[in-house]
Amino acid sequence: MKASYNWLKEIADFSLLPKELAHALTMAGFEVEGLEEIEGDIILDINVTPNRPDCLSITGLGREISAILEVPFKNKAVNIQKQEGKGPEVEIKNSQLCNRYASRIISGVKVAPSPEWLVKRLETHGFRTSYNIVDVTNYVLLEMGQPLHAFDLDKLADKRIVVKISDSEETFHTLDNEDRKLSKDTLLIWDSEKPVALAGIMGGLNTEVSLSTVNVLLESACFHPASIRRTSKSLNVSSESSYRFERGIDIENVVKALDMAAQMIIEISGGRVSGLTDNYPRHHASKQIIVQHEKINALLGIRIEESFLQNIMSRLGFEIKRAGEKFIVIPPSFRQDVQLDIDVIEEIARLYGYEKIPATLPSIRMQPSPRNERRDLIKSVKNSMAKSGFSEAINYSFINPEILNNLNIPSEDKRRNFILIKNPLRKEELAMRTNLIPALLNNVSLNLNRGEKIIHLFEVSSIFLHSDQKLPNEIIQLTAVCVKDKTASLWKTKHDGFYDIKGVLENLFNELKIREYYLESDKALLEPYLHPGKSCSIMISDEKLGSLGMIHPRVLEAFDIRADVGILEISNLERLQEYRHYKTEFVSLPKFPYVERDIAVIVPMDMTAEKIKREISSIDSDIIETVNLFDIYTGKPIAEDKKSLAFSIRYRASDRTLTDEEVDALHFIIIERLKDTLNAELRS
Amino acid sequence: MLNDIQTIKNLAREEIEKAHSLKTVHELKIKYLGKKGIFTHKIKSLGLIPQEDRREYGRILNETKNYIEELLAKYENSFKTLELNKTLQTQRIDVTAPGYCIPAGHVHPTTQVLDEIISIFTSLSFNVEEGPEVELDFYNFEALNMHKDHPARDMQDTFYITEDIVLRTHTSSVQVRIMEKTAPPLRVIAPGKVYRCDADVTHIPMFHQLEGFMVDKHVKMSDLKGVLEVFIHMIFGPDTKLRFRPSFFPFTEPSAEIDISCVICKGVGCNVCKNTGWLEILGAGMINPRIFEMAGYAPDQYTGFAFGMGIERIAMLKYGIDDIRLFYENDKRFLEQF
Ligand SMILES: [Zn+2]
Repeated sequence: MKASYNWLKEIADFSLLPKELAHALTMAGFEVEGLEEIEGDIILDINVTPNRPDCLSITGLGREISAILEVPFKNKAVNIQKQEGKGPEVEIKNSQLCNRYASRIISGVKVAPSPEWLVKRLETHGFRTSYNIVDVTNYVLLEMGQPLHAFDLDKLADKRIVVKISDSEETFHTLDNEDRKLSKDTLLIWDSEKPVALAGIMGGLNTEVSLSTVNVLLESACFHPASIRRTSKSLNVSSESSYRFERGIDIENVVKALDMAAQMIIEISGGRVSGLTDNYPRHHASKQIIVQHEKINALLGIRIEESFLQNIMSRLGFEIKRAGEKFIVIPPSFRQDVQLDIDVIEEIARLYGYEKIPATLPSIRMQPSPRNERRDLIKSVKNSMAKSGFSEAINYSFINPEILNNLNIPSEDKRRNFILIKNPLRKEELAMRTNLIPALLNNVSLNLNRGEKIIHLFEVSSIFLHSDQKLPNEIIQLTAVCVKDKTASLWKTKHDGFYDIKGVLENLFNELKIREYYLESDKALLEPYLHPGKSCSIMISDEKLGSLGMIHPRVLEAFDIRADVGILEISNLERLQEYRHYKTEFVSLPKFPYVERDIAVIVPMDMTAEKIKREISSIDSDIIETVNLFDIYTGKPIAEDKKSLAFSIRYRASDRTLTDEEVDALHFIIIERLKDTLNAELRS
Repeated sequence: MLNDIQTIKNLAREEIEKAHSLKTVHELKIKYLGKKGIFTHKIKSLGLIPQEDRREYGRILNETKNYIEELLAKYENSFKTLELNKTLQTQRIDVTAPGYCIPAGHVHPTTQVLDEIISIFTSLSFNVEEGPEVELDFYNFEALNMHKDHPARDMQDTFYITEDIVLRTHTSSVQVRIMEKTAPPLRVIAPGKVYRCDADVTHIPMFHQLEGFMVDKHVKMSDLKGVLEVFIHMIFGPDTKLRFRPSFFPFTEPSAEIDISCVICKGVGCNVCKNTGWLEILGAGMINPRIFEMAGYAPDQYTGFAFGMGIERIAMLKYGIDDIRLFYENDKRFLEQF
């Protein structure tokens, strides 16, 4: 709400400078967001909260200022000197939606542009100007907070007004030259034949005041806030009028505003004022609120004197009476927001001054606080990822459904079944994410484009899947992406990028004490966006927990990424909880030394290290401690379809020092076993 | 005979002291102490000494041998050190070349600030709770005293999934959810993502908030001031001033907006605080008894306070970040600064 400093001074008798006034308003709950100097005046930009529609006018603000500063409020008197004849005929059919409708006819007006002072006041307060009649209605709205509307009387059939809801769907042409499709039950103003205004929101073009208008019917009404808001929202049309009606106006101010406007019109454009029609089917009932003195003190943590209490209430225009230990408070008609004792207490706190309320610390009963295991898990995961060199990314939860095409995700996949947003900011971000990969690949692309060469990013965020409940399933996922620098770097490591990302998984599960997992390269389980030769599923007891691997080159192409990207995905982080070993059990340190022997075997290309390890471990002996792969070699002199794997086997007995003879014997058995069962060839 | 030993000793000392390399020392060791060395020979010929002198002669011989041994060891050691030092000099590397390491990653600044705030409130014995990001209109609005036609809904631009389901616009949506399943006393914080249908230079459509609330018998507005003062002093330093001013939220009454003295200019006035010296940082208030009614608490038995804050805002002030859009772009040069 914009308000002129000079104008406010006409209403409230204060002497503060504009900046001081702004501070006083801000500290009383009316945040002044700006001060702008315009031609010898200062325009204050005041944030009026939705509960204070009474301050959406210069008079309302002036009244509030007089209460805050304890200075006189100069309420303008309005009287119409001369009235001729009867007021217009008005009928209210839906009195629950229109509680009051006052009107007068002004005949013989001369429609013309407004005088300069009026134009200036309206413009500095952000209003567009029009003809004098319309400008006066806006001026009174600004000064009194009461929306008004002027009809061209001669365009009203039978010069009559009916207030009622539509009983069928209508199309109505509003002042702003738009066709509005109205639903049934929209509150409209009618003449004898047709609708002439969207009640409380906007007039119709059919009865608009124009240069040829001679007689006008002036409306000052009070409509039901929720009804106005519903219509305004459903038609997506709002105005200065609807803004005030939907927050609530002062029903007791309706006639005064009407008369102020009528008087101004005859002063500016000439004409004669008719008598008053005041249809007031639902009278304002003042509310009695019981407030306990002790409750005020107990809730605010202060001790306020009764006299101060009385003083605050009367400054705000509230009646206050003592009734035994309690007070009966009656708020004025313009304070519809005050309904309960708590609302009164807030007013007291506001004028008492929040600054004067002390700062104390509550005394509490001690209680054990439950562990938030979900948060603990997320925290451990994030820390583990950071230790592995990954930085945390956070992306918006929105996704363009089309982007899953880039990931080759088939149409029947549940990740294609999106939760859609009805009113997305951008039409390509109309769904909630069902996985984190596209966003992270976009992050990779952005960083590569900005010249970064090594990228290690992870994200832990919710994804959203349809459920059989009202609300979707929100599942916490972890996804990490990794790009390794391929250009010359000082300390080179030559291994495949797959092993980088696999190492991250190993660190993570080690940190979380998850041991029984294995990697499965069964094609049926593999994700379509992964390199078929360099990817696998992360499994624990037949449950797929996620995927690990290199991104498919086609997918990289679709995301315009010119680098190999490794990816780790845990599709439901909370599933890991079940597999964690929370208890740490100590194992005694070995008392006897170990003996180490190496073995290198030549095996077919598709033989896995894991298989050989398992074969070795399956030998019935309790002295094989660890089997460690330390070299993979392909190339000459080994045949093209074969590779050499070298293991180092550590032997140890728990009760004695091993002799070379017994180790050699077992080592020999291992070699023979690998030859027999896996067709391995010993490399010498 | 004794003179003979003395002569050997003198000669040996002279020779050892003149030695100029480890090799010479080794040669002298062989010469005097080796299997065919002078001393070995002497000891072997001990039998030739008359019985009465043998004991004395043996003692002196042994003493001298020990002396030579020690002297040789001393020289051997010093030559070894010398030689090692020479070798080490040849192994000199360029210490200015970068080290080899896997640099640790960085947790997102939002997470870091959130963790810091959470640890402050858990130290004040608040529990951490969470609620869904896709939320029923009921918990996001209705239960917080914002019915469908309430103009306060204009204060937040809402993303809708259906008529009754929204992307939560604030973490306050957690309040009634928790109250419905937990009896007072309550001390809860609820961090998380929130969404607003709004994007420009200073707004992003998804950001983080933390809601806190306390419900018990006799909770006062002065307690709200005290708790927030402790929090602000812990996060921005004890010199930070707080300013409480009246505001409006449908779910608190009285409601307050809390400003802190500008952490950038210390209250003098700058761009960040728009020359006011103050920064708006928190919304708070005493929980509206209508919310207790919604949650099924007896409204006249309990009182409580609630507060909410934007995490990015606090992170921006803590780190001096001047563009909120940087947070979720995920440029690693940004992420790795924290
Ligand atoms: Zn500043």
